[in-house]
Order: sequence, then C-alpha cells, then structure tokens
Amino acid sequence: MNIGLDVGSTTAKIVHVEEREVIFSKVVPSHHWTELIDDGQDDRCIVSTGYFRKKVPHCAAITEITAASLGARYHNPETQVIIDIGGQDTKVIDLRSNTFVINDKCSAGTGAFLELAAHYFDIPVGSLGRLHSLATKGAQLNNTCGVFAISEMISQLVSGYSMEEVIYGLHQAFALKISQMVPSADTVMLIGGTVRNTGIIDAINNVLDSKIEVPGAPQLVNALGAALYRERLDDGR
Amino acid sequence: MNDTIGITALVPPELMYACGKRPLDVNNVVPVSSSSPSNKLCAWTAIWRDMILNGGLDIDSLVVVAGGDCHNALVDGQKAELSGMPTHYFFYPFDGDTDYLRSQLEKLVRFLGGIQDERMFSLISDLKAKGRALDELRVNDRARGSDVFSALISFSDLAGNPDIFGKTLDSVPRTDIRYSSRVALIGVPPIYPDFHETAEGFGLHVVYDELPYEFLRLGGSSLDSLASSYRDYSFAGPLKNRVRLIQDELLRRRVDGVIHYTQYACHHTLEDEIFRQHLDYPILTVQGDLPRPSTEQLKLRLEAFAEMLGVMS
Repeated sequence: MNIGLDVGSTTAKIVHVEEREVIFSKVVPSHHWTELIDDGQDDRCIVSTGYFRKKVPHCAAITEITAASLGARYHNPETQVIIDIGGQDTKVIDLRSNTFVINDKCSAGTGAFLELAAHYFDIPVGSLGRLHSLATKGAQLNNTCGVFAISEMISQLVSGYSMEEVIYGLHQAFALKISQMVPSADTVMLIGGTVRNTGIIDAINNVLDSKIEVPGAPQLVNALGAALYRERLDDGR
Repeated sequence: MNDTIGITALVPPELMYACGKRPLDVNNVVPVSSSSPSNKLCAWTAIWRDMILNGGLDIDSLVVVAGGDCHNALVDGQKAELSGMPTHYFFYPFDGDTDYLRSQLEKLVRFLGGIQDERMFSLISDLKAKGRALDELRVNDRARGSDVFSALISFSDLAGNPDIFGKTLDSVPRTDIRYSSRVALIGVPPIYPDFHETAEGFGLHVVYDELPYEFLRLGGSSLDSLASSYRDYSFAGPLKNRVRLIQDELLRRRVDGVIHYTQYACHHTLEDEIFRQHLDYPILTVQGDLPRPSTEQLKLRLEAFAEMLGVMS
C-alpha cells in the first residue's frame, strides 16, 4: 500500500493507494494532521507533500508541484495544465513544458481571499458557490488586490448590488486574476480545496477558453500524487 | 593610495586600473547588506545610493552606467552627485556603435585623469583568461557553481586589487561534483547571497551565470580594442543579440533548465516573456526584492524545479 500525506496551510489530507486504486482517504484541519497517521503503524513509508511536508513523518517529501503533476495525470494523462488553488497560494503547472508559476505574494487569487470575503459577509465559505448560482449578473470588482477588493465590495453593496451579485463579481475577479497565470491550453484541470466552490469553477469557465476538468475529489489530488510517487521510489527513479 | 571609484555596472576595469584608479562595484556590497531603504524601486540601486548618501561607502568618486543598462541608476546616481559626490555618467550604445563607445571611453579616461600604466591591460587580460578557465571547470563538473560564481562576480572590479584577486582565483576549490540537473542562471545576479548554495542543496548545478560571464567575455588593451569588445556588452544592447548569446551558451554548457532571476521593479523583468518564447528549455522565473538569505518561497520554487527536471523528464 502506498500512502500520500498532504499537510497544507489549511487542511491535512491522507490517501491510501493499493494497485493504483484509492482505498482510503481523510481530510482534517492542518493542525490535527497527527490523527491521520495515529494508528500505531510507525514503520510505513509515507510520502509527504504540502507546506509542512518536512515537518511530518516521511520516507520521501516532495513539493506540491510534483505531487499535483502525478495526481492530475492519474485522473487524466492528457491534461495539459493544472491550476492548484490552495489556501495561501495558487500554482499553475504546464505539464507540456515542465514549467510552473506560483502566486504567493498576492492574496487575490487564493483561498484566503475567499475566506476574507466570507468572513465579511459572516457566512460559511462553503456557501459561496450556492449564493453565486443565485445571481443573474455580477458586480464589477477590481481584480488587483484582495484587501482592497473588500472595500470595493462594500461600495458595490452601497450602490445597490445584492450580496449574491457581489459574490458573483468576486468569483469573476478571482478567475481573472488567476487567468493571468494560465497559458493557452486545450485542457485545464482545477484542483485544490477551493475548487469545491462551484462559483469558482463557473467563473474560470467563463474566463478561460480551455476545456475545464475537475476531478472527483480535487482536494485530494496532491495527496494522491504523493502516494503515487512511492512507485517511483520503488523503481529507483 | 589610489583613488577608489564606485561603478554602478560594468565599466571596463582594465581601463580604470590603467588610469591608476581602483574600481569598486557598488553592487557587490548589496547582497550582504541588511538595510531596508526607503523610497526604493530596485533594492540594488537604492541600497548603494543610501550607502553613498550616508557615507557608508569609501569611494572618492562615482561612475554611473546610465545608458543601456540600469535606468534607476541614472536617477540614484544624480542623487549621489547632488550630495557632493564627484560623478561621471557612462553610456553604452544600444546599436553597438564602436565610435560612440570609443568617445565614451575617452571621456571616462579624462574623468579618471588619463592612462598611466598600460601594463594593467595585459595583467587583467591574463586574469580574465584564468577566469574563463575556472568557468570551464564548473562546466566540466570540476568545481562548484557557487565557488565559481563568487569568483566571477568580482571580475567587474577585481576585488580592488588584481594581484590578490589572482591568488583568490587560484584558491577556488577544484573538486568532482555530483548533481541531478545542470542549470543556467540568466538575468541580473540574485540579490540573495546564498542563492547558488541553496540551488546546489536541491541538486542544481549552476553551469552558467549570464552577467559574470560578460565580465570575462569582454576586454581589450587599447581604447580601440576596448570599444570593439565592449560594444557587444549584451545587457546594454538589443535583446535579440542577448538571446542569441544565451542560446549558444546553453547549448555549449549542456543545460537541462534555465533559471531567470528578476529583481523587483527592475525593467529587465519585462524580458521574461521574450526568454520564454526563444529559449527552448524548462524555465523557472524567480524574483527577489531585499537582500536576505534565500526565502522559503524561493526554496520551494527551486526544489520544485529540481524535481520537475529530475523526476518528470
């Protein structure tokens, strides 16, 4: 059995893979990551990834870039570009050229931006997608700075837009910000916990010309990739 | 004691020594600085500017390379001049005009007080030959990229003393090295003082440092030959020439990938998309701001790049 452990900024994920099939997975808040391996089996080879990859038990630690590449290719070997939207950063990986870019200096295209907006509205971040779907138009928001976007949201509320329309505009601004990092491609796969927000998927579909794919468990792709990396270790690669 | 002349970018060091002056590349003090300058765009120029204004650089006058390379230096150099620092402005020709560059060299010689010791031309030519041999050692895996970079980056001013610098070159460790991938480092040099060591920690062997190689590539023993050589200074000329030069070096040095270092608020950052269009290699673009030990964000990028070059190929 191969085990991948992804301890990111917000959540920790574990995936058990046997004969290239996922047989177990679990997600907990990052600081509870020990619960994922607290089953008395200390002699296993765990491949770790994520921000805390070197702080947790591992026989190999790989970056999220490599983990995402392996995990995405498992879901679709033909995928050309991956957008991994994390809590604190967003990564775009072009599998055709083995290149990547990471946005970790600006919050406007990261999960933290959505957390900030949800906090302002005093709603769970998980409800943003549903509220997005209730809007028929969106408020125009600046897409350059996550912090100032909040003051812009307030201005749009004052000018008469509904909360749903502002959230729609927020997702659109989010997608525009990310699109600046994305190369032209036929197929783009979205992964990461933020992608569970269907409003984000809709907005990215609106902004990019590419065919957008979302795997069944987008939050687990990196942990899956880490588990699959174990096969490479065994092959001596 | 000879006058010490601050230089803000490449100024033919053989000419400065021949004029009896001691060049000090003011950029070389920046990576070890811990200051956080106010009113800055690029930290490279802002830090040496503040050091000059605060009397923290022991120089007698300043030569600002204003034309064809760093545009921030043109303004920050004038701030130094307005504070009382004797300052000369040196311009490279964008079109490679040899006559124009010769006239610039003549003005420089007048500012420096005239040529006094022509033997310095051959002495420094020999040192540059030694530098190119050192550069070849790392290409052939016989020296660490970090050790070679530390030596080559000082070829802009020969560390203030050509004789001692020659001995420094001899002391660079020769050793067989192991690595996972060969990479080139293009762009301005990283402001992180431990960049090469950090890259090596992830198995990346830096076999080409673009700017320091310019210091070695160019030279001459008279105003005419200096003008004919330095007219090709790639950072001051058309990008197509620079791209062609880089392509040749990437091929010759058998690199697996390219790291393009960009400096926050530096116009060279705009060149990234051109390199990505014209260099057929995996390219990692990284950006630095203030001189500090390598950040975690940088380490993640270098580690991921090393993995992609090694694992995904």
